[in-house]
Amino acid sequence: MVMCKDVVENIIGYIEAELDDKTLDELEKHLHECPECQAFVRTYKKMLELTGKLRERTFVTPDIRQRLKELLKSKLKPN
Amino acid sequence: MATTPETGSISDEKLVELFISSNDENAFEEIINRYCDKIYKLAFRITRDHHSAEEVLQEVFITLLKKIDTFRSESKFSTWLYRVTANASYMHLRSEKKYENDVSLEDYVPYDENGTLVGRIKAKDWSDRPEKALLSKEAMEIIEKAVDELPEPYRVVVHLRDIEGLSNEEVSVLLGLSVPALKSRLHRARLFLRDKLSDYFYERSK
Repeated sequence: MVMCKDVVENIIGYIEAELDDKTLDELEKHLHECPECQAFVRTYKKMLELTGKLRERTFVTPDIRQRLKELLKSKLKPN
Repeated sequence: MATTPETGSISDEKLVELFISSNDENAFEEIINRYCDKIYKLAFRITRDHHSAEEVLQEVFITLLKKIDTFRSESKFSTWLYRVTANASYMHLRSEKKYENDVSLEDYVPYDENGTLVGRIKAKDWSDRPEKALLSKEAMEIIEKAVDELPEPYRVVVHLRDIEGLSNEEVSVLLGLSVPALKSRLHRARLFLRDKLSDYFYERSK
């Protein structure tokens, strides 16, 4: 019998659509009946969405960029 | 270093070819524009030190200048560059003897011994909070901090897979991990992050 534990341990396969039909059917049946697991899947997906937003953050400051540019200029034109 | 119309739409691999064949500085500048931040961020994620991240950034581009002709176009340029960056970052950790204690998250599970979810997940469901709250500056800082709290082997896979958006296969190749091993790390790391975010948004709603 599928339990919450099975939803948790198969979550990557579930969201990447890699589960076999039988496992998927059983998980979905459990999900349908378990509000805790529904909330788990929703918050898991939202967490992934928010984590992905970190990609838009810039770490390199103009100073770092400038130092890199000057260093490479000296390497590109050693004479 | 501005992206020029001539170089902006060219593939990474073509830029490398241009630089090798004709020493085209615009092509090299375009590579810098595309990867400077990505390299720095990966280096910072591994070393957790801005000074080390900048040193790695400079080392990677110098390595690139010296060894760009060893790049083989059968692999993706970005994967190759990330691997060079990860190796340089680990060298830094080693030279500064800053290896962390390998804390394992393998036992990190949100369910009890009966296999039932614990932690009142439904009561704490924050997934329908308004975008404004979820994407606030404070919330993004919390996510950033939560990622940084992960032990290094977990942090690097979250960075490459979930933040930079590389595929399982790409991350697996560049870290020298099997896909199942990668997924296993990713899984525990994501459970940890989901819990951290749940705690944060739940506290905010009280």
